[in-house]
Amino acid sequence: MWRRISWRLLKQELKRGELTIMAAAIVLSVTAVLSLSVFTERLQAGLTARSAEFLAADRVLSSRREVPTEWLQQAQQENLQYAHRVVFNSMAFAQDQLALIDVKAVSEGYPLRGELRIAEQPFGQDRIAEGLPGAGEAWVAAALFQELDLQLGDAIEVGNKQFTVTQVLSYEPDVGFSVFTDSPNVLIRYQELAETGLIQQGSRVRYNILYAGESDDLQRYQDWLLPQLSDATHSWRSVEDGDSPLARSLRRAERFMLLASLLGVVLAATAVAVAAQRYCQRNYDVVAIFKTLGASKPQIQAVFVTHLLLLTLFSIAVGMALGWLLQAAVIYFVAEYLGTTLPQAGWQPYVLAGGTGLVSAVMFTLYPLLRLVQIPPLRVLNRQLTGTDSLRWLHWLASGGTIFALLLLYSQQWLLSLALFVGGAIAAVVLLTVGRLFIRASRQAGMQAGSAWRLAMAGLQRRAQANSVQMLSFTTAIMLLLLVLALRDDLLADWQAQLPDDAPNYFVINIAPGDVDSLQQDFTERDIVSTDLYPIVPGRMTAVNGVPVIDEVTKEDDQSAQAQTQERREGFGRELSLTWRDSLPPNNTVIEGAWFDAQTGPQVSIESEVAERMRLNVGDVLEFNIGGNVFTTPVTSIREVEWGSLQPNFYMIFNSQTLADFPATYISSFRLEAERKNELFELFRPYPQVSLIDLDAIMMQLREVISQVSLAIGFVLVLVLIAGILVLLAQVQASMEEREKELVILRTLGAPAALLSRSVTYEFVILGAISGLIATLAMEAALYILQVQVFDMSASIHWRFWLLGPAAGAIVVGVMGRLACAQLIRRNTAQLIRGLA
Amino acid sequence: MLIQTTQLQKQVNTSEGILHILQPIDLQIAAGETVAIVGASGSGKSTLLSLLAGLDLASSGDVIIDNVKLSDLDEEQRAKLRADKVGFIFQSFLLIPSLTALENVMLPAELAGRKDAEQQARELLAKVGLAERLQHYPNQLSGGEQQRVAIARAFVGTPKILFADEPTGNLDSVTGNKVEDLLFEMNQASGTTLVMVTHDAELAQRCQRVLRMDGGQLTEETRDVA
Repeated sequence: MWRRISWRLLKQELKRGELTIMAAAIVLSVTAVLSLSVFTERLQAGLTARSAEFLAADRVLSSRREVPTEWLQQAQQENLQYAHRVVFNSMAFAQDQLALIDVKAVSEGYPLRGELRIAEQPFGQDRIAEGLPGAGEAWVAAALFQELDLQLGDAIEVGNKQFTVTQVLSYEPDVGFSVFTDSPNVLIRYQELAETGLIQQGSRVRYNILYAGESDDLQRYQDWLLPQLSDATHSWRSVEDGDSPLARSLRRAERFMLLASLLGVVLAATAVAVAAQRYCQRNYDVVAIFKTLGASKPQIQAVFVTHLLLLTLFSIAVGMALGWLLQAAVIYFVAEYLGTTLPQAGWQPYVLAGGTGLVSAVMFTLYPLLRLVQIPPLRVLNRQLTGTDSLRWLHWLASGGTIFALLLLYSQQWLLSLALFVGGAIAAVVLLTVGRLFIRASRQAGMQAGSAWRLAMAGLQRRAQANSVQMLSFTTAIMLLLLVLALRDDLLADWQAQLPDDAPNYFVINIAPGDVDSLQQDFTERDIVSTDLYPIVPGRMTAVNGVPVIDEVTKEDDQSAQAQTQERREGFGRELSLTWRDSLPPNNTVIEGAWFDAQTGPQVSIESEVAERMRLNVGDVLEFNIGGNVFTTPVTSIREVEWGSLQPNFYMIFNSQTLADFPATYISSFRLEAERKNELFELFRPYPQVSLIDLDAIMMQLREVISQVSLAIGFVLVLVLIAGILVLLAQVQASMEEREKELVILRTLGAPAALLSRSVTYEFVILGAISGLIATLAMEAALYILQVQVFDMSASIHWRFWLLGPAAGAIVVGVMGRLACAQLIRRNTAQLIRGLA
Repeated sequence: MLIQTTQLQKQVNTSEGILHILQPIDLQIAAGETVAIVGASGSGKSTLLSLLAGLDLASSGDVIIDNVKLSDLDEEQRAKLRADKVGFIFQSFLLIPSLTALENVMLPAELAGRKDAEQQARELLAKVGLAERLQHYPNQLSGGEQQRVAIARAFVGTPKILFADEPTGNLDSVTGNKVEDLLFEMNQASGTTLVMVTHDAELAQRCQRVLRMDGGQLTEETRDVA
């Protein structure tokens, strides 16, 4: 029976649009959650796949010794693909010349992610390589062609084995950004490695195993493997690790999306809460009539629970459909725009979205519904009766609990959820208090004003209690909007700064001191913008404060090495590129100590992450060995370096007098448009020993990733915006109902429509402006914490929002209020009076 | 007696002390009688009606309806009693805006679990002259039509008692007269006991008994029986 009655009520109420706000709020929360989570998941899968290309795998195990075969068997059992990659330095002989090279021996399947590109001539048009070099063949980096004056088909000797050079190695996905220490690569087959005879006891070799597979399988394997690894011998890497600009951008983007989505969900839930309250208030009379006509409480409960459930399910279905369409549209647009397709998402987002809709509808209507069934039947004779208010605590408990549950459900992070929740609760209390003070103050200011203002002020004051709650939701909505907007601007600006359109796309290394001037002159003649030239002196750091560091070259048996790790620092295990310079390079900031002063004597400035890893402080004395010359230098400053800046960056910078006398080569980076690529060969022909590193491919990938993320962020912003507007709308509508009676009385007493509409508009304008102002304050505070704590960015103040916040609040809330009021005034007075009777 | 009160009182606490809305009232209404309660605004006549109908609770004294003491019943049982034995007509009609005329009339019968709710509702709406407007919603009906729907709703399930609160108060006099005629006609046909609150003296005169409320005190107006 109640099902029939509920259905009848619902049908007509839907038709007449009485449930629009409630339905819209649920639809929106479901749409937002679904499209956001599907989109984020797909984007993330896409990004992870893309970033995996930088590793050439999903996970990489790096080892100083050969990896036990059972580890590989286990990988096979977990359905993982794997490939060997062995990397070491060696010499290559060709054309009676000798060159330092990096040998890279890889097994079938390499690269597991991303692609290898090869060309027929150095810096020529390249294509995707299918497979690996054949037996007895080697693919060689362009730089080595210059250095050894090679031609395709020439023989090159590596160790005991002779290889035929069959292709120019133009792009390796896993080449990374470490351009300073790498020699040109020679790619050979893993099976032929032994024949070179280069791997012997004590050789400095990196044995890498690349893995790829499903994330669950990878996780299981990782759980099995990690306990068996030793810190001294092994390292395990995934895409998220590391300090590549890409990994940082991704982490920030992920955090932003998560945060923005959370805020969107909270906003949508708030809209549901406001609408639910209103939904129940509208049904007070209906319940009273039902009771008068003899309906029992269980009957009424059944009717309204069914009613609400039907509405919720209907809205969830609509929301799901909309959400799916929306993300499909965005994905289509992304695909069009970027020329990539994104992987499909799983079923979790659908559960999450449906769950969010259901949970927020049920929890936020719990109290209003309880109150609804308590409505006394006597209300049919006395319209003032609204039942008991004693369960209000339950409302706060249910609403608070729900918001927290949603935060947790969505982020799956206790700490973040708790922080946001507690922060939000504190902010709410502060906002309520400040809001009330503001209203009181504005009342006094308004007493001197004209009559529409006076009415508005009187209204504000009379409804101070209701208004401060209203203001809370206006403020929250405006604040979250501003927050997402400002954060997005900052993130985008930050990325843009990292990868400006004129970012250098080539590194040139190994420039002889005698060539520095002429190369610079060549750059100028060809109108090529380059960075400063930095000298490079290869050297080892051998001791800290007199205690030698553990280094790979120091051959020790593992047990003693492990035992000593506690006291002794682990060295770099390789030569470092040391530089000298008297001025602080761009994109570097001194965070401890001071940059070199004029004082004589050796000084070194070290990069902050190295300092942290090696537990170095200002004042520590480092010992270096450069070509047999051993000397010590005190650390005088610690620098933070923008690694993403694509400029030559250094762990160690010395003052000039310390290093200037050592033999050095120079490094620089410059920008050359793709269409001028053919000039490279000409440009560098006079400098055969110079090596050139092409960053275009990597930068293109970075740009692609960043534009995908920016697009996603724009999308999130729009959704949050809609959610915010919905909250404002629901709140204005709800408060209009409270005003209805008063308006009718004033109207009946003959107040002109213009006066009423102006006074209501003013009231909303004041509310909106105050909310906007408080929102801006709160936004700045929240943003400061987020930027510093969550996003690793430098904090900034957003002056334009100080105007934008209050102005936007006043305009949007004012316009909404005026529209709602106009609707009310348009209905004739008799109709209104009857409605209130 | 169908309706009986003994020493029925209602008082409320206000900031200025206890306000006696109803002085002790003893009243008997027999089955089939038509009774008007008249009096000025604020005299307590609506309060009396709400107590008689079990919508509100008395401060002291008893209301006995069909041999059942209302004070012995909880809210649920009083609702059940209303569903079984009582019909209502209100000044502001109190139709449910999202239900059609037919659905509004069916509602009490459905709540009481009657199988023939729709059948009964159709017949009653035909009786009040709205056979053509079954699927109209309240906002598509005039005031008079809405009150006719309310009358049909009051009679569905053939209640023993009908409570009417200013049934013509929101209508113009011509429409009001028609609605009155209809009300009395249907009441007579079904033999229902009618208790009506009104300040319309003419309307009151159409009832067999007229009770006057004044300052919370009830007096019966004696008059010539024609």
